[in-house]
Amino acid sequence: MTCSSEPILEVRNLHIDFTAEEGRLPVLCGLSYALPKGRVLAVVGESGSGKTVHALSVLRLLPPNAHVSGGEICYKGQNLALLSEGELRRIRGGKISMIFQDPAASLNPVLTIGQQLTETLLAHRKMSKEEARRQAARLLEKVGIAGAAKRLEEYPFQFSGGMCQRVMIAMALALSPDVLIADEPTTALDVTVQAQILRLIKQLQTESGMSAVFITHNLAVAAAVADEVLVLYAGRCMEQAPAEQLFKNPLHPYTQGLLNSLAPLHQKVEKLPVIAGHPPVPGQAQAGCPFAPRCPFASEKCRQSCPPLFEENGRKTRCWLREVHA
Amino acid sequence: MNAPVQITHLYKTYTRRRWLGKNWEKPVLKDVSLTLEENHVLGLVGESGCGKSTLCKVLLGIEKPTSGQVLADGKDVAVLSKSEFKKLRRVMQVVYQDPYSSLDPRMTVRQTLSEPLDIHGLKKEPRERDAFLKDLLAAVGLSATQLERYPHEFSGGQRQRICIARALALDPKILVADEPVSALDVSVQAQILNLLKKIQTQRHLSMIFVTHDFAVARFLCDDIAVMYQGRIVERAPAEELFLHPQHPYTRALLAAVPSVQGPCLPPEELAEAPGRTDWACPFAARCAYAQASCKSNRFELKEIFPRHACACGVLPFATEKKKSA
Repeated sequence: MTCSSEPILEVRNLHIDFTAEEGRLPVLCGLSYALPKGRVLAVVGESGSGKTVHALSVLRLLPPNAHVSGGEICYKGQNLALLSEGELRRIRGGKISMIFQDPAASLNPVLTIGQQLTETLLAHRKMSKEEARRQAARLLEKVGIAGAAKRLEEYPFQFSGGMCQRVMIAMALALSPDVLIADEPTTALDVTVQAQILRLIKQLQTESGMSAVFITHNLAVAAAVADEVLVLYAGRCMEQAPAEQLFKNPLHPYTQGLLNSLAPLHQKVEKLPVIAGHPPVPGQAQAGCPFAPRCPFASEKCRQSCPPLFEENGRKTRCWLREVHA
Repeated sequence: MNAPVQITHLYKTYTRRRWLGKNWEKPVLKDVSLTLEENHVLGLVGESGCGKSTLCKVLLGIEKPTSGQVLADGKDVAVLSKSEFKKLRRVMQVVYQDPYSSLDPRMTVRQTLSEPLDIHGLKKEPRERDAFLKDLLAAVGLSATQLERYPHEFSGGQRQRICIARALALDPKILVADEPVSALDVSVQAQILNLLKKIQTQRHLSMIFVTHDFAVARFLCDDIAVMYQGRIVERAPAEELFLHPQHPYTRALLAAVPSVQGPCLPPEELAEAPGRTDWACPFAARCAYAQASCKSNRFELKEIFPRHACACGVLPFATEKKKSA
């Protein structure tokens, strides 16, 4: 692992709460990670685990009823929370850019693709409109859209879902950012298109040496793109490990359960091993490990107090069973 | 003995009337023929827009076929009267994709499960009804204490259990399941898949299972039909399909499915040949194996091995299978 290099994005002990009728609901409880340059981190979690909220908080795009109640997010050592709106604008898109889940909903339907692509370029770079158009056409070609010059005149409805996502990627990469945050970028797409988009992101990421945070609920997608995987459950990091190790030898009972419960593609099985119960609803505060009610190995200790992240051989696991190994 | 579901040369075209000019027409199902065998699970696999949900709608009588015949339990669904359809509903039931929108939020579980029984006048005696509902809930893994609760008090997986219980209330022979696990969390999917499998075996259900996920299909299905643009391009027993996929589209789909154990086929490059869009074979525009013969001939679904049918004239992988056989 390239742990020696300075992390480009660092999240430290991040806490996020939502204000709701019932009071304050903690959605993220102390998330920490460091993203080194040129690496891809996959954040994997089920619905309600806080994975999207964490992504939005990086660029301060949280909805008004959510607020960061603790911790900090640093880009190259500067705390993003302390920046003024003007300073943040230069970082958004320019240094850190984002791709969202639903490509069709993230594009403006009444502007042409060309207008939307050049808008990004003109807002951040000093260049003439013609130059911006030429640059936009180059970007479209780079993401594999044929006849780019002509397609700049077209509107989002004339593009298929996969093509829209390519446009979103082109837009996100327009200013060669250092960090790409991709929030479920292939969930709305068909599998053949998903495979193409994943390959494209991976290829562009390797070429440009960009770092990426890849948010997904799909473990297989994480396996396809990530160097490092972080498993979120109920707003907490349960396990973080290099991708290969995590999939080959998951240490946390939740990760083990998740991987076992996936229907295998390679052979037919008669019964799937399951994790009993269902994921907790945010705000259902409880003492102890959040996974304890579903965990086959849970002991009294697990129900009493939440384990810290135990570190061993460059892996982190939030489970009392790993205490002896750490 | 009739097959539970028999579909022959089914066409379905959605039309929108226009005041002037020609009507807007969108053919969604083209010449689909399928048989669901008794006590079997037939998987319909395909990407969005391939017509798999429309096929279910036609089968359930929600849409009328444009031409062709759909026999459910030996009855032609296109010509059934309302009262005959009501009878058919006791035999054929459905579970939908989204357990959030397919339950009435203002009905308790008891009301939801009682509705089909009331409509068909079954289990009228209160004590018998009560015992029946409790058994039903137990069969889908919920407890009797949950009968008086409302849908919002349940998680997604529990709601899908209620939907399954509702479908089972009339003790049907045929169950149509349209993507029943794709809206659920990963850790809950396995629970529902196990439940569907258990129920299918215990009750000897014949099931049509629509999914876009090959891994799920492999777990649950006996036979699989792969759809592309409204046609069935390949149909085979499930294991045969996974071990010897023949149609280039099936192979491309299988190769594209990401898996934590790595892909099950080497990545298959899909050709981007937009110039071939007017070719007779609908897949030619994306097919890496297309030949000149695909331009004018659309190959019908034809049995190439026993019980294994494929709609491709090139069959670039047929020799591979013969060798291994």
